[in-house]
Amino acid sequence: MNDSNGNRWWIGSALALSSAFGLTWLGGCFFPGAHWSLRVAVLGLGWTMIAGLCWWTHRRIRRESRLLQRYFEALCQWAERQADPANLPPAPTAFPWRGIAEQIETVIRRLQQHVDQSEQRRATLELRCRRAAAETEQIRQIFSGLADPILAVDQYDEIVLANPSAEQLFEIPTQRPESRALARLVRCEKLVQLLSATRQHKTTGHRTDEIELTDDAGHSHWYRATAVKLSDGDDHAVGDGAVVTLRDIGDQKSLQKRNAEFVSSVSHEMKTPLAGIKAYVELLADGDAEDEQTREEFLSVINSQTDRLQRLVDNLLNLARIEAGVVSVSKQHRSLNELLEESLHVVQPSAEAKQIELRAELSPLYLGVRADRDMMLQAAINLLSNAIKYTRQGGSVTLRSRLVDDQARFEVQDTGVGLNEEDCSRVFEKFYRVKKDKDMAAGTGLGLPLAKHIVEDVHGGKLTVESTLGQGSTFIVALPCTGQMLGDH
Amino acid sequence: MGKRVLLCDDEIHILRAAEFKLKKAGYDVHVANDGQEAWEAIQQQKPDVLITDCQMPRLDGLGLVQKVRADSQLADLPIFMLTAKGFELSHDDLAAKWDVRAVIAKPFSPRELLRQVDAALGETRDTQKDERSRGSDAASD
Repeated sequence: MNDSNGNRWWIGSALALSSAFGLTWLGGCFFPGAHWSLRVAVLGLGWTMIAGLCWWTHRRIRRESRLLQRYFEALCQWAERQADPANLPPAPTAFPWRGIAEQIETVIRRLQQHVDQSEQRRATLELRCRRAAAETEQIRQIFSGLADPILAVDQYDEIVLANPSAEQLFEIPTQRPESRALARLVRCEKLVQLLSATRQHKTTGHRTDEIELTDDAGHSHWYRATAVKLSDGDDHAVGDGAVVTLRDIGDQKSLQKRNAEFVSSVSHEMKTPLAGIKAYVELLADGDAEDEQTREEFLSVINSQTDRLQRLVDNLLNLARIEAGVVSVSKQHRSLNELLEESLHVVQPSAEAKQIELRAELSPLYLGVRADRDMMLQAAINLLSNAIKYTRQGGSVTLRSRLVDDQARFEVQDTGVGLNEEDCSRVFEKFYRVKKDKDMAAGTGLGLPLAKHIVEDVHGGKLTVESTLGQGSTFIVALPCTGQMLGDH
Repeated sequence: MGKRVLLCDDEIHILRAAEFKLKKAGYDVHVANDGQEAWEAIQQQKPDVLITDCQMPRLDGLGLVQKVRADSQLADLPIFMLTAKGFELSHDDLAAKWDVRAVIAKPFSPRELLRQVDAALGETRDTQKDERSRGSDAASD
C-alpha cells in the first residue's frame, strides 16, 4: 500500500477539524467584545464546516469502501467463476486502498491464469482420454473379433484376460467367476504347463507347442499355442504374467495326414508293380522258368508291370505339371471314338483279370474333338481303371460315346460299389479316397483329379459323376464337338 | 505231397510268382484272391503256412489274421504278411499282437520268401530233410 496516498484523507480531516476549533477559538479571542450572535454565527460556521467535512469524508469513505467491496466481491465471485478481472473499475490514484485492490486484482489475474492453464490442460487430457477410450474400444473390438483364442494369466496363474474365442473354446463363463484359476477353467494340462513355464522363465522369448483339444462330440482339434511372457516392468510391483495365442492348425494337420497317406499310397502303388518286376526277374535269373512258354509269360508280366509303373509316374508328373501350369499341350482335331477304343485296349487285361465285362457302345458318328491325344487318352484310361477297380468280380463296365447338342460326350458306367452324396462332391479332390472302399483297391487318389484337370482345364470340357450307392457310378465327359459325320467305323 | 501253403493276394501276378517258386520247391500251394476266400479255404483244410497280403477287398490281411488267431485250432499256424505297405505296419506290433512270423516287404524276393517258409516249417518239421529224403527215395526208386 502507498502510505502517503492512503493517509492523505486522514490528514485532511484532522486539518479541517482543527480549523473548526481554531476558528471557534479565534472568534472568542479576536472579537472578545463581539456580540454573542456573531460568536454563534462563527461557531455555527465552524460546526457547519465540520459537519460538511464529516459528510464529505463519509461519502469519500463510502465510495472507497464500495470500490474496495467490488474488488472483494470480484475475488469472492471469481471462486464461483462469475467475475472477470477485466470488468473491474480502475483504482483511482488517490485511493487509499489502492494497494489492497491492486493485490486483489493481481491475485485474481494470477488465479485466472492458473485456471486458464488448468482448463487447457483439462481439455488436452479430456481429448487424450477420448482418444485413448476410442483406441481401447478399437483394440477391444479387434481382440473380440479375433478368431484365434487368446488367454492371459497373471503371476498367480489366474486368467486376467480371455477373448470370446477363448471363452468359447474353453467354455469359460462370460461373467466373472469366483475363481479365475487357469488350471480350473482350462482343462488342458499341456496348455497350463506351457503358460506356467513361460511365466516362470527368466527370458522373454516366446514358446510354442502343439496341443490337441477334444470337443464334446469327441472330435480332435489341433492348435499351435504361442506363449509370451508379460513383464510388469522394472519395479516388479505386479509380477510377471504370460499370454498365449492359439492358432487352429486343423487344416495343416489334415494336409499333413493326407500328404502322409498320399506318400504311403504312392509308395504302395509303385511297390506293387515293382514287386512283380523284381519277382519275375529273379525267377528268370534263377532259371526257374524251364520252358520257353513260361519265360514268355514271365517277360510279359514284367512288361505289363513296367507299363503300369510308367502310367503311375505319368499321372503324378502330369498332375504336377498341370497344377504348376508348365504342361505343354498339343491339341489337334481327332476322332474321340479312336481315342476311346485305344483306352479300352489298354485296360482290357485288368478287366479280364478281374472277370469284369468291358462293353463298348460307341457312337456310329464321327465325333471330332480338338484334343491332346496323350492327355485325353490318359483321362479315359483313368476313368476306366477307376471303374474296374471299384466294380466287383463279375460286374460290368460300359464305355459309351454320343453326340448331345453340340457336345461330344463319353460316359464310363459301372455296376460297382457306387458313391454317396458326399463322396460324389469330393471324389475329384486330390488324394481323396472313399473311406469305405479304401481296402477294395490300391490307389493314390490322383486318377480322377487328373482326369478332371485334363477334361476341364486343358480341353474346356466338363467331367461330372452320377452315382447310386451300391448300384454303380457313371462318369460323364462332355467336350466341345468340332465336327461330326456318319461312318466313323 | 509237400506241406500245404496258402497264398492270399489280390494281385494275380504276385500270387503267380510266389506260387511258382513254392510249388517248384515241392510245396502244395493253394491261392486265394482276398481274405474272405482265404478264410473259406482255411476252414475247408488247415494249411501249414499262411502267406497273406495286407490290402485286399472284402476281408483284408489284418482281418484274416485276427480271424485265424481267434480260432484256437489255428493258434499255431505260422503266418507271413507280404505287403507293400510302408510305415503303417510294424512287425513288432504284429508279432506281439497276432504272432505274425515275419512281414515281407514288397518288392520281395521269391528266393527269400521260400527261405522264410522253409525256416518256419523247419521248426515244426525239417523240410530240407524231407526234401533230401524225398530226393533219396526218388533216387532209390
